Amino acid sequence: MARSIAIVEDEPLIRANYVEALNRFGYETRGYGSRSEASNAFAMRLPELVIIDIGLGDEPEGGFDLCRELRAKSATLPIIFLTARDSDFDVISGLRLGADDYLSKDTSLHQLAARIAALFRRIESLKTPAASETVIEHGPLKLESERMRVLWNGIEIPLTVTEFWMVHTLVRFPGHVKNRDQLMREAELVVDDATITSHIKRIRKKFVALAPDFDAIETVHGVGYRWTP
Amino acid sequence: MSLRQKLLLVALCTLALPVAGWLYVRQMETLLREGQAQALVASARAMARSLVVVDAPLPPAGPAWYVERTPVPITVDGYADDWASLSPWAQSFGRNTKVMLAEDDRWLYFYADVRAPQRHRADAGDRLVLSADHLIISIASGEDAQRYLLASAAPGPTTAIALDADAGVLPDRINAQWQEDGSGFHVEFRLPRGLRLDRFGLGVHIAADGDNEPLSADSRPLLDFSAALSQELSRLAPDGVRVRMLSPDAWLMAQSGKLALPDLPAAERPGWFASLVYRSLLATRLDDDSAWAEDAPRVDLPEVREALQGKPATAWRAGEARGSVVLAAAMPVTVRGRMHGVVLLEQPSRAVPLLANRALFGLLLTSFAVLLVAGGVLLLFATRLTFRLRRLRNAAERAQANDGRLDGPFPLTDATDELGDLARSFARLFEVVGGYTDYLRTLASKLSHELNTPLAIVKSSLDNLDHAGLPPEAEPYLARARDGVARLGALVRAMSEASRMERAIAAAEAEDVDLADIVRGCAEGYRALAGDRRLETELPGEPVPMHVSPELIAQALDKLFDNALSFTPPGGWLRIALRPTAEGADITLSNQGPPLPAAMQGRLFDSLVSLRDKATPGDAPHLGLGLYVVRLVAERHQGTASARNVDDGVAFTLHLKGMPRQRLG
Repeated sequence: MARSIAIVEDEPLIRANYVEALNRFGYETRGYGSRSEASNAFAMRLPELVIIDIGLGDEPEGGFDLCRELRAKSATLPIIFLTARDSDFDVISGLRLGADDYLSKDTSLHQLAARIAALFRRIESLKTPAASETVIEHGPLKLESERMRVLWNGIEIPLTVTEFWMVHTLVRFPGHVKNRDQLMREAELVVDDATITSHIKRIRKKFVALAPDFDAIETVHGVGYRWTP
Repeated sequence: MSLRQKLLLVALCTLALPVAGWLYVRQMETLLREGQAQALVASARAMARSLVVVDAPLPPAGPAWYVERTPVPITVDGYADDWASLSPWAQSFGRNTKVMLAEDDRWLYFYADVRAPQRHRADAGDRLVLSADHLIISIASGEDAQRYLLASAAPGPTTAIALDADAGVLPDRINAQWQEDGSGFHVEFRLPRGLRLDRFGLGVHIAADGDNEPLSADSRPLLDFSAALSQELSRLAPDGVRVRMLSPDAWLMAQSGKLALPDLPAAERPGWFASLVYRSLLATRLDDDSAWAEDAPRVDLPEVREALQGKPATAWRAGEARGSVVLAAAMPVTVRGRMHGVVLLEQPSRAVPLLANRALFGLLLTSFAVLLVAGGVLLLFATRLTFRLRRLRNAAERAQANDGRLDGPFPLTDATDELGDLARSFARLFEVVGGYTDYLRTLASKLSHELNTPLAIVKSSLDNLDHAGLPPEAEPYLARARDGVARLGALVRAMSEASRMERAIAAAEAEDVDLADIVRGCAEGYRALAGDRRLETELPGEPVPMHVSPELIAQALDKLFDNALSFTPPGGWLRIALRPTAEGADITLSNQGPPLPAAMQGRLFDSLVSLRDKATPGDAPHLGLGLYVVRLVAERHQGTASARNVDDGVAFTLHLKGMPRQRLG
């Protein structure tokens, strides 16, 4: 049975495009135009993944409120934020909201599909016991590729899919400098340099929040970043 | 000229005050003097009348001979040596004769000096004497009168022969001395005072001049200083006034009183400065003739001359004592219409100069004080005005430098005067400008935000179109549409970049890093991008520790490098240099390339200013944000960014001082 996805987006044309595209990718997708509409629908039945636009009609941060509501209902429901504004990247705090990813509307449908697939895969792999797990370990770091989980000293760092892919890129070849293009490619992301910088910043924050002396991601000015074991 | 100087200049108008006061004091002094002069004239008139009434021994009317008291013994020798002290007052007689008369206790001396270039000589006894040069002398004592003929053919002693019959006490002959020189002859003789002569006559007969009356003599009364008259004067004279009686020829007949003033107490005596002020400012109209001061037998002053014409006259003179004046009033004394002389009253006075001095001094002091006060007040006023204007100007300049925004309220807007009006106008103007600038500033990001949604629609539609099973011939169009959308997206991103950067820069956090490390890292990164262009680095050997945001520095360097690279011709050079300075460090990125146009240098680091030619089709759009970001980064680090032309290229420099440390806590 096809997985059900809900899209909460106030712009009908975009909503229609996304719904059609995701249906074509084999999901059972429903679109909702406002927070109340979505809330009502979710009260009946929760979808398996929710894509939320941050600005919903008259509520510039309606998406955040909806996200909070959903998190109250289900701690594991994958949530992806779509933003029109670059600045929203700075506003979003993954830790605070517990979204699984956030993407700009620049992101192509193809990239969106990749993230959805990854999220479902992560959920699936969490259900099955970690048997054939590819695990990368570097000192206190433990990275489980299949489950897309990162642990630092045994504590899980709540990274989004995009962030996980970036960390994964860095950790796979520790000591190697990865430039922004590489990071972007690996993370299925087409954004500008500043966005990469803010992603890296956020990753660092997430690590530091749980391990104050974290400094494994090093900036190589003018080039990129590298993982120092 | 500053406002203050102008107002001070205006303050000079108060100088009119002392001038007006000075004129007033002069006027006052003139009035006082006139009053005093009138009073003195009145007493002179009273005195003249009294002299007539009391039948005082007045000098006779008409011409007379004045006999002086000789200070030295006179020897009768025909020479004028011993007359030297009297010669200034020699009395002219006729055209060519000067006569001097003098007396001592016993004798009355007579000396005549006759100018006669052509001589006809004969002795008194000679028959032809009357047609030669000779003198006729007549003397009278009471009823007795006698005439004498005096002539000499040769210099030396001679004798005057009486012409008339025996005349009582008067002698028959007079021994005289006759001397000659090239221009004439001198005669000197003496008569005993015992004769009590009261008239003396002289006739000078020069043969060369022709003469019809060879025996004639001009007889005049003899005058001398009269003690009796002096006595009379002293009885009549008012206090503090010197009275002098002058004959109709202005000879001094009698005198009473002195000009001396009682000495003032030292405290009231005018100082040299006061006297100087008085003389230079007020006393300009005083006659400085000092004839009254001398002990002259003849008082030939203008007022006396005028009085001798029959009119009372007054005159002011500077006094002997410093700062004093003498008022002289001359009044003719007439008896039955005949002029018998002049009474000259001279009143020394200090009162007027002192009064005037005091007034003038008071005035000078007052006006000086007023001048100072007015100047001070104006200076204060001007200073305040200038200060306020300066505040206004500074605020305006600050607002202008700050794109029309001013932190805090505009100064002076609550003032009620015109400056307040101006300030309010300024404030309104800058409000409008600030609003407009803000609008412009946010326009791009607003626009880009609004454009994002339609862009997303087109993009997602194109993505969907991919799977709509388009015919192959539609593929190129789809690709072109994608390309167009991509460029549109880049454009929209660039438009919002400025505000995004501003936000990012403001939020950046500083750390203590080695600036040299950052620059070195960046330079290494750029080497790959430089291609065939030569990239040189110039870094100090030791670390350059600073409190900066490494991301921002790298970002600024990125922009500078990007900028430099695009202007460097293939095969050209680029140079990155880091130099520690006293306050921080300078990072300079220079490159070979065309020089900056002079007009652009000031605006190069402004937002939306680009030197590039219009973007070639297909290139990412250039909105001129790169150098703006550089400036923002420099300013975030309390520094500046500058650009200048070097030998064959351009150098951009970041002057950094480090970010302010945030307080821990």
